[in-house]
Amino acid sequence: MVTGAAGGIGSAISHRLAEEGRRLILVDMAPDLARVATELETSTMVRPVQADLTTEEGVQAVRSEVQELGSLELVVNNAGITRDARLANLSGENFDLVLDVNLGVPLRLIESLHPLMEAGAIVNISSRAYLGNFGQYNYSMSKGGLVGLTRAYALRLAPRIRVNAIAPGLIGTEMTKAIPAEVREKMVAAIPMQRMGTPEEVAALVSYLAAASYITGEVITIGGGRSLSR
Amino acid sequence: MVFVADPNVADNWNEIREELAEAFSMTKDAATRGEPIVYIVRGDDLLGRDGIGAAIVATALLSGARTASLELRESAINTLAIEKESSLEAISTWVGHLLAGGPRGELVRLGGNHLGKALP
Repeated sequence: MVTGAAGGIGSAISHRLAEEGRRLILVDMAPDLARVATELETSTMVRPVQADLTTEEGVQAVRSEVQELGSLELVVNNAGITRDARLANLSGENFDLVLDVNLGVPLRLIESLHPLMEAGAIVNISSRAYLGNFGQYNYSMSKGGLVGLTRAYALRLAPRIRVNAIAPGLIGTEMTKAIPAEVREKMVAAIPMQRMGTPEEVAALVSYLAAASYITGEVITIGGGRSLSR
Repeated sequence: MVFVADPNVADNWNEIREELAEAFSMTKDAATRGEPIVYIVRGDDLLGRDGIGAAIVATALLSGARTASLELRESAINTLAIEKESSLEAISTWVGHLLAGGPRGELVRLGGNHLGKALP
């Protein structure tokens, strides 16, 4: 089960898991979900669920799909949003919204779905911003909260289910294309690897953690060395 | 401003959201006044050892302190991680140090329960 499956990283994760022959439940609010599902239908069984996971009905829709399929081995909490502003200008509405989508949804999903898993893995897509990122107090808190959630569930659900987090840095998606070119070039220049990461590189890490039978409670940064450079 | 995270927050999104929203509101107000800020959390919660909700709140606050420190260069915003056995004297001493300025976006951990374990 992959949330945010219609986005850049979510779509790449879905493609990667389909190539591995996994049956997929793909979840997103965006109508573009149908396109991703159609792309994958030739290679595996896909069940798209267009739902708002901030609602109880949305979470229940996913749970119902899992119950129909009969088993669940992997949960990828990938859906996320940004509403950036400096702390002084950050509204309560945008604080609540970002935390609800990025943190509340994974919490509610895991609580709802883990009883249906006999074994397997949960991968939470956090962000390198959990280390701190200018203008992202709300986003940084939400992704930092995911780290705590990951550790606590790793301890609670072991040895039945492994729980890990991935903290991507700057990844080339439609979202990063929206950044003005000058700003993007400066951001890339600060990355030791001298380029943005690709959604496929994040997807490969998800695939690795899905199968990594002795790794749990870890946060793995995929940021081209940006966590070290000035 | 000193914000003490509730270590007994339930594993329930509404309680977690209320706790973080209160921290946000108090942080924004204190930052506007140019006051130094200290978040107090349980060290065990940074490692997810107790409740899910408490772990989420503790790690979210640590990230918030680091981001706020990037933005508010005139104010010191730090996190103090305590243990159940930490004395009030030790806590108040370290809160005083952190409010006095110097470190920014730093995590100070009292006690040794974190040694040999994951870095935050």
